Amino acid sequence: MTAPPSEARRVSVGIGQLAISRDPKEVLVAYGLGSCVGISCYDPQSRVSGLAHVLLPDSDGKRVEDREPARFADTGIDLLMKRLTEAGASPRRLIVKVAGGAAVLGPANAERFKIGERNAEAIRERLKHHGIAPAATDVGGAKGRTLEVHVGTGKTFVRTAASPANEL
Amino acid sequence: MAQEALVQMLTSVARDGAVRAGRGLSGLMGQQISIHVPNVRIGTKADACDAVGGEESLVLGAYLSISGDITGHVMLLFPVARALQCVDLMCGQSPGTTVEPDDLAQSAVGELSNIVGSAFVNALADDLNLILHPSPPTIIHDMAIALVQSVYAEVLSQGGDVVMMDAVFEDEKGRTAGILIVAPDPTSIERLMKVAA
Repeated sequence: MTAPPSEARRVSVGIGQLAISRDPKEVLVAYGLGSCVGISCYDPQSRVSGLAHVLLPDSDGKRVEDREPARFADTGIDLLMKRLTEAGASPRRLIVKVAGGAAVLGPANAERFKIGERNAEAIRERLKHHGIAPAATDVGGAKGRTLEVHVGTGKTFVRTAASPANEL
Repeated sequence: MAQEALVQMLTSVARDGAVRAGRGLSGLMGQQISIHVPNVRIGTKADACDAVGGEESLVLGAYLSISGDITGHVMLLFPVARALQCVDLMCGQSPGTTVEPDDLAQSAVGELSNIVGSAFVNALADDLNLILHPSPPTIIHDMAIALVQSVYAEVLSQGGDVVMMDAVFEDEKGRTAGILIVAPDPTSIERLMKVAA
């Protein structure tokens, strides 16, 4: 595990948000992903990174509000790819990693609450639509996760309430 | 307009529910617990977890679902250290005996949440003349935002917006003792609006 540089600036990417950065001092972080899914992207050539924090699987034709541009997996991934491309990244070079999609409300409710699973599946499908297969995933299970991508190196880490940061 | 009436009604009901829940919590914690005026919000807000320590803070608590005339979700979240203090008090142990959320601690927190959560649900039922049943509690121990977000997602995935009531409990020293979060399912909002009208 590589610690972020001491002068690193942590940028919180909240629910339904996405962030793009070329600043090597920045670490983009999606805190406490429960059923939400975080998608981290890094283009090693242009050194552009992106992170999206998706809440729901399908926009179902609903209008996407500016306040939460990455609320839905389908429209959120499309926008993430558009913004990355605008910032100089190439989708075919992107290293994409996906984490989250847990069922955190207890085993008794896991059968009923399947949003996490549906989110992960919808993201896999939408990435495929863009010709992208994730390089690594850490999805499902019963624990919330925090996902971060270090813009300078593209290194991506996941930690849970019970475990320290592990590189994904 | 209908939304305004709904928020107004739920604020009043949430106040009553929080008072009753706080009374239950005071009894179990052995000290006076005060309650902030509950918030009723429409839409997702990132600051729902601020009271329990922000985005990545760990909480111990329980989740209950509501069934009956309306359906919905209830969550009681306690900062972990505070929950463990509570366990010692409830079990008649000297403070500091419980240092981790073991089986006994989880069982005690389940009971605590059952009493406090049910007090709130019963107030809702009485004030709105509805028949409501809280489910047995499921223990949760995780990052606060991961739990709140999962309830958001569950509600929003059914269509409509999320209406969330939250009440913060404080101890005699003004420290956060816990937070109670209640969110009806979208299918129940229409029923609630009729009651509010």
